Amino acid sequence: MSEPAQYDVVIVGAGIAGALVAKRLTTAGLKVLVLEAGPDTTRSIADYTSHLETFYAASAKGAESPWPPAEAAPQPDGGDLFKDKSLPANSGYFIQNGPHLYGSTYTRTLGGSTLHWLGVSLRMLPEDFEMGSRFGLARDWPIRYDMLSPYYEQAEHEMGVSADVVDQRYLGLRFSESYDYPMHRVPPSYSDRVLGAAVNGMRVMVGEDSVSVQVRSYPAARNSIPRGSYQPVGALDVDADGNARRSFLGERCEGNTACTPICPVQAKYNANKSLAQADRRHLTLRAQAVASDILIDKSGHAVSGIRYKRYDDPGSIQHTEEIATGRIYILAAHAVENARLMLVSGLQSQSKKVGCGLMDHPALYVWGLAPFNVGSFRGPQSSSGIEDFRAGRFRTRHAAFRFDIGNDGWHATTGAPDATVNDAVLKQKLVGQRLRSHLEDQLPRQVRFSLAVEQLPNLKNRVTVDPSNRDKLGNPRPVIDYEIDDYTFKGMIAARKVALAVFRQAGITDCSSNAVELPFPVAEYEGEKFYYHGMGHCAGTHAMGDNAETSVVDEYQRSWEHPNLYLIGSGSFTTMGTSNPTLTLAALALRTADHIIARMRKHNPGIEPGPRRRKETQRVNPG
Amino acid sequence: MRIQDPRLHTFVALSSVLTGVETVQLFGTGQAEAYLVTLGKILPVALLDDLFKRFEALPAEEIEAAVEHQVLDDTRLGCVAQNIILMWYRGVWRRLPDDWRASFGAFPEDENHLISGAAYQAGLQWEIAGAHPIGARHQGYASWSLVPTKPNRRNTA
Repeated sequence: MSEPAQYDVVIVGAGIAGALVAKRLTTAGLKVLVLEAGPDTTRSIADYTSHLETFYAASAKGAESPWPPAEAAPQPDGGDLFKDKSLPANSGYFIQNGPHLYGSTYTRTLGGSTLHWLGVSLRMLPEDFEMGSRFGLARDWPIRYDMLSPYYEQAEHEMGVSADVVDQRYLGLRFSESYDYPMHRVPPSYSDRVLGAAVNGMRVMVGEDSVSVQVRSYPAARNSIPRGSYQPVGALDVDADGNARRSFLGERCEGNTACTPICPVQAKYNANKSLAQADRRHLTLRAQAVASDILIDKSGHAVSGIRYKRYDDPGSIQHTEEIATGRIYILAAHAVENARLMLVSGLQSQSKKVGCGLMDHPALYVWGLAPFNVGSFRGPQSSSGIEDFRAGRFRTRHAAFRFDIGNDGWHATTGAPDATVNDAVLKQKLVGQRLRSHLEDQLPRQVRFSLAVEQLPNLKNRVTVDPSNRDKLGNPRPVIDYEIDDYTFKGMIAARKVALAVFRQAGITDCSSNAVELPFPVAEYEGEKFYYHGMGHCAGTHAMGDNAETSVVDEYQRSWEHPNLYLIGSGSFTTMGTSNPTLTLAALALRTADHIIARMRKHNPGIEPGPRRRKETQRVNPG
Repeated sequence: MRIQDPRLHTFVALSSVLTGVETVQLFGTGQAEAYLVTLGKILPVALLDDLFKRFEALPAEEIEAAVEHQVLDDTRLGCVAQNIILMWYRGVWRRLPDDWRASFGAFPEDENHLISGAAYQAGLQWEIAGAHPIGARHQGYASWSLVPTKPNRRNTA
């Protein structure tokens, strides 16, 4: 390298991890370039509305339906899972070798998968960081809960998480004195309330433990009533010059029941909100720029540039090739893409663990009919969960799990209300008043639980690349090997048993146990079929650890081999726990940003100090 | 879209019997004309004329039972009537069954599709559930915490 670097920091990916780091680094005065593979079509009300119209007009309203990918930056789609009848499944973006299908997806558009996430913002439990020493499984993280706790607080403020801390002290979760979330909890749904009244305090045996069940409001990155001076950030409206106009839309959750795939008013957090709060004097955002190669200098260690392909038209693969240079490089492109980019660049790490240990929360649905109208299909997609099985002595033998309690009837499971109407009209041949009465009776009684089950890092579950299988732009596609193991299957069995016990206690008629031919991936264990779905929780592909032999990155998500390279996001997770990964990866990203600022300050004392106290990081409306 | 189709009121009257929903509510969806246009694009005029004539000839009392026997049970008209119900409730056109297509014609536009984004939102299924279309016509902050109310009904037994 003879030329001086163009930027202090080059970030690949404008999802939540990249956006939070970009905001913090530019605020400290560092010059940052963000490369985003997808189009910049999510930051003005007009653009966002066109995504909403795409969703309305889509026949299949899956998680990706409002966010169709550019030709040059393809993405996995839930619909891909059923195109191929046998393995390897090759017709979507992923090449799936199995033996089980990997059910999760992500979005390659500015804002990343926060455009269609549910917004669940649970912290990991203290014991989730210590699976090795407590249960003899996998490895401990190189950090502990208490080290991450201040960053959890910061992430909860950056993202705007609504919860009451009084609800969240369970299973060892602890908060600093006088801490509370920036907004009051999102009001629980009527169905949460009546379910809680029916089951709270009931006891269920799991292994040798008798566990008390509680329906509990979960922390959600959805705007609610603010605490103190906190100001919720609603819909973004950035004009062509990059100026954010004030918008009052979305300062409260309105109950659109559409967190996934698109919050119409952006009351739910998405990464573009953080990116809009970056210091624009120091930020360069380059969308439609697909990173294709990481360049290494003559030493064989330091990264000297990121090669990327820039396209002008999302409908075309016409592109030009450019190289971005910086002093530090951060891959923030999501767990699968980070690993893919490393592997196509020939960077396997000394441990050879890049791509290995891919995880998810394979999840089961259990659904039934409540004994009376519980007001289904109203409110945010869900607002409460059952968290009591996230920890316990049973973890030596099987996976932990948590339940998400839906507010959207059987929408996610059977495709209701459409499927309920079809059944009534075409199978039961109902018509007129009898049809109407039947639907009025059935639809508001529909209840579903999503049982998300922990998965351990198994090195055979991995992302690789095959140079003979490329996308239209010429970048090798991700190849996925994935298997659900006994530990997780046994957790699924336990989870289903608990869910059905809760149903019985509440008088809910189970309608799921005899359902067959469901539109989900299926796995068999001990003669039983499990229809499972991905939770979008891709993780573990560049796991952190305390040495270069067993891990890819250190506790600051810094590559062991490449001192100026960081791989951030849920790919860094050592283990998965049961919490949705976004809040934890956000906290990790903020910790990495502070580490980078401190590191750069050593060389350039002019850089603003981080970390700042929480009060100063409270969000204001952009503009 | 405004059209002066003399069959519109017959179509909506038939639809009201099929769906169990008042004509005023059906007009209130804003989709009546669009659905009739959709039918006209997919099916031959003669078929629709037969359907509407059959309906108009039925006695006004016990109309629902008459529609069941004279329309729904008819091998040619029954599937079309079911599709009209699905249009109103879901905003979709369902491809007619293969045996129907073999007997009465395979029409090129007769494929599964959502009629429009507006039709999706106007689907009766949401209001019948006491709810709102997913992603639209939200009910407002904290409304989901309230005791659910029965959807408005007139003339119900």
